[in-house]
Amino acid sequence: MINKRITLLGPEGTNIYVFLQYLVFCVISWFTLFDITNEIGLDIQNVLVRQIIFTILGMIIFFLFTYVSVNNIFSLANVLIFSSTVLLVGVLFTQETLGARRRYDLGVFDFQPSEFTKVAFIIFLARAISQKSNKFVIFTIITVNIALIYLQPDLGTTFILLSIVIAMYFLSNVSVKSVITVLILLFISFFILLEFELVSSFQVQRITDFYSSDIQDFSQRQSRLQISLGGILGEDLSNTQNISIFVPVQTTDFIFSSFAKSFGFIGCITLIFLWIFFGFRVYKLVLSSNSEFEKFLLSGFVILLYLQIVVNVATVLGLIPLTGDPFPLLSLGGSSIIAVSSIFGIINRVFIENNQII
Amino acid sequence: MFSRVRLKLVFFIFAILISLIFREIFILQIVNNDENTQEIINQNFETFYIPAPRGQIADINGNILAESVLEPYLYLNQKKINIENRNVYKQFISFNFKDLTNEEIENIFDSSEIFVKVVNLNNYDIDLRKKIQNYEAFEIFNQPVRIYRHGELFSHVIGYTGNPNQSEIVEFVNSEENKTVGKNGIERYYENILSGKASKITLQNGEIIEILPAIPGQDIQLTIDLNTQEVVKESLQQGIDLANKSFETPNAIERGAVVVQKIDTGEIVAMISLPDFDPNQFISGISEFEFKKLNRNKAFNNFAIQGLYPPGSVFKVVAYWLALNEGIFPDEASNYNEYVNCDGSLSFGFDDGSKQVYEDWKPEGHGKVNLSEAMKQSCNVYFWDIALKIWRTFGNTDSEAMLQEYSKQLGFSTFSNIDLPFEKAGVIPDRELFDDWKISKPELVRPEGWLGGDLMNLIIGQGAITTTPIQVSNAYRTLLTGEKSSPYLNSQNFNNEKTNINISQEFISFLLDDLNLVTNPGGTAYRSFQIMGENTFDIGGKTGTAQNPGDLNNTSWFVGVDSISNPKYIVVTVVEEGGSGSAVAAPVSRRIIQHLLDLDLTPVEFGEITE
Repeated sequence: MINKRITLLGPEGTNIYVFLQYLVFCVISWFTLFDITNEIGLDIQNVLVRQIIFTILGMIIFFLFTYVSVNNIFSLANVLIFSSTVLLVGVLFTQETLGARRRYDLGVFDFQPSEFTKVAFIIFLARAISQKSNKFVIFTIITVNIALIYLQPDLGTTFILLSIVIAMYFLSNVSVKSVITVLILLFISFFILLEFELVSSFQVQRITDFYSSDIQDFSQRQSRLQISLGGILGEDLSNTQNISIFVPVQTTDFIFSSFAKSFGFIGCITLIFLWIFFGFRVYKLVLSSNSEFEKFLLSGFVILLYLQIVVNVATVLGLIPLTGDPFPLLSLGGSSIIAVSSIFGIINRVFIENNQII
Repeated sequence: MFSRVRLKLVFFIFAILISLIFREIFILQIVNNDENTQEIINQNFETFYIPAPRGQIADINGNILAESVLEPYLYLNQKKINIENRNVYKQFISFNFKDLTNEEIENIFDSSEIFVKVVNLNNYDIDLRKKIQNYEAFEIFNQPVRIYRHGELFSHVIGYTGNPNQSEIVEFVNSEENKTVGKNGIERYYENILSGKASKITLQNGEIIEILPAIPGQDIQLTIDLNTQEVVKESLQQGIDLANKSFETPNAIERGAVVVQKIDTGEIVAMISLPDFDPNQFISGISEFEFKKLNRNKAFNNFAIQGLYPPGSVFKVVAYWLALNEGIFPDEASNYNEYVNCDGSLSFGFDDGSKQVYEDWKPEGHGKVNLSEAMKQSCNVYFWDIALKIWRTFGNTDSEAMLQEYSKQLGFSTFSNIDLPFEKAGVIPDRELFDDWKISKPELVRPEGWLGGDLMNLIIGQGAITTTPIQVSNAYRTLLTGEKSSPYLNSQNFNNEKTNINISQEFISFLLDDLNLVTNPGGTAYRSFQIMGENTFDIGGKTGTAQNPGDLNNTSWFVGVDSISNPKYIVVTVVEEGGSGSAVAAPVSRRIIQHLLDLDLTPVEFGEITE
């Protein structure tokens, strides 16, 4: 087993690439937020300083997770998913804001249990699939958690969780036939839900309207224009006239549009390639790892992060209807940063345990 | 078992999605860069409009009746309000403008407008303006405020202004930018003349970069005479009070209208409709309670052009003209001068053998009457005889509707086209109309349709006929000049289309002489005009009393002419439920004529009940 060697960066050191990438993503977020506060006169205390505090909190979490062995995570899987379920039940009894019950008001920041659920969900799924647990029990636990998030309501996260379940199930080399069966079952259950009005026809109409007419949502129209402003090299270089544009929720869900404006096409390519590079390194680790649990855990995390990025950017580009998904490590928001930090922390730990310490 | 192949497949799917996203970003940032930048620049320019002052409205002597006064208004530039200074401005406003409620202040800050009106600074200390200059989000703009100097007196002629609704924005070009439109009266009819072009303020990123000055609206001079208008209102009010004192009616009598029209030009010298309202209320904001009360009382109706009343005997002048023109007189008379006997009722048989008796208003009868006497005493029997003659001679032929043709020539059942909005036309019933009504309004007509009795009703201005005071006035004017044109209020009279009607000078003097009989001994209006002494020798008129359905009191009519030798004005008075025309409407007109002739005014006193 692994030698317990305590260093400044964790018990056995730290994979410097994982940490550096984590840091780079955080710093990009700071620059973007700084640009926004500069331009639209937001309170810097309330935006940038808060994000830096969240990042520091996230880093603490990152390093805490390097102390937790993969075995411990494996054994904690059931506890995690259980606490997630309890938190999701509890959040339904909180005060409704903007037509949904999604967060606990902790004073300094709002805690969104669904961010925690995403992490717990993947750990649980990785364990259940690698262990070949009782399918009925897995199914029940998954359904309960997804249903609770659906009840908030939070359609974006529901969609992401469903996709993760299907993707991880698909990775476990089950027959193509059974994957298709699951998809068909999902499709049927959607219509059953619609029939019993558990999915409101309003929500369905929102989606069909989106694809049947040219009229995009106001914030999506504005964000597309803002992205345009970036040009090749970013606004500061290509935009000589001092023009600005209003985009709603610019610091959180729509932060990618400000990023694209500030850093241009080159910036977008760089950001996405940093993420691809990160995914590629994890992919290599998946291939070399001997543990089934680790393989599922790592692929689950990467799929989650990529899904969030794709959904977020597609929303900002106006390619899909409005969801409420943050861009990992870029959007302002404590829950999301802490959740992604713990994912990076766990991934770092897996690197360490596979002796990839640089 | 973990499948590497499938993990590759999943990454492959992501690769496709990411390339799609890059394609879109590429299009936005590189292909459409210029186009979208231009769109953002356009978004950055914003415009705001400050209303232009409307034109003045003056009376014929240049007395100002309505004007727009510029007053300094404090505006808040929302583009310069942010989280940091929001409370500073909020405190400034609530500290300095104590009249504003907290809710009103919240509404200012929640408004979606770029500039939000805060207060009229005229109501506050002048020193405050210096303080305001230190606050960059405050702007002071001079904004016109409409003032109606004579309040109620011109509520129906001038009308009032208000916020335009969707259809008004489409109809009147300037209304959206001015945020004001004429809602009624002259203000509406001449909206495009009175309204100016609003001042346009262009902003870039919240800073004013250009102010185009407003182009004020043009002034209008009315044909109305302020003094006459005042006397007319007083007189009509006295008439209404008199009617209330004299009759017991289930509801209070409160409605009436007067039109004073110049005979030579057709211009309107005075026009009053009661009840009225103060148009200034609409400028400062009218309470819903007050509005509903006025609406219930029909104060917004201008009865002079919208009140639809059967005209009663004032309509006999149409048959009078027809009789002389066509030579149609009662059976026993061969010309206008021959007398027939009126014994107070008319009985006649029908083709089917049935018999009907029509009772005159005077049961003992008027005795021997000719055409002039019939006008003077308002004898119904004489005119019924004419109707019977028409019916028996021309019934069911093309000429059957000759009385209606004559009425329409005088302008009945069509708009007078006076320069006021929302005029009503009324109806002159005939066989065709009754056939239509059998289908559309079966409750109004008998199944047999148009009958002789309907014509007899029509000839004395009763039954289905409805007319407005302005139509009656203009019809008398047409008969006294031989010229038909639209009455008008704007002294520039844009609509001066005239048609000549075949009326001889002889007829005019004959008619004037007979109208003169009405206000002299033996005439129905003598009692009302007696007080004028010898002056009555040169005055004329015609009384009318129109019956109303149910237990409603009669509608009181009088059409007066100020002079027989030199006729200048026609005065038409209607008092809804005012009873006999000779009792209430006639003395009202008499007092107005006293004013027109520069005589001493005497109060409106009860005449006598005739008809």
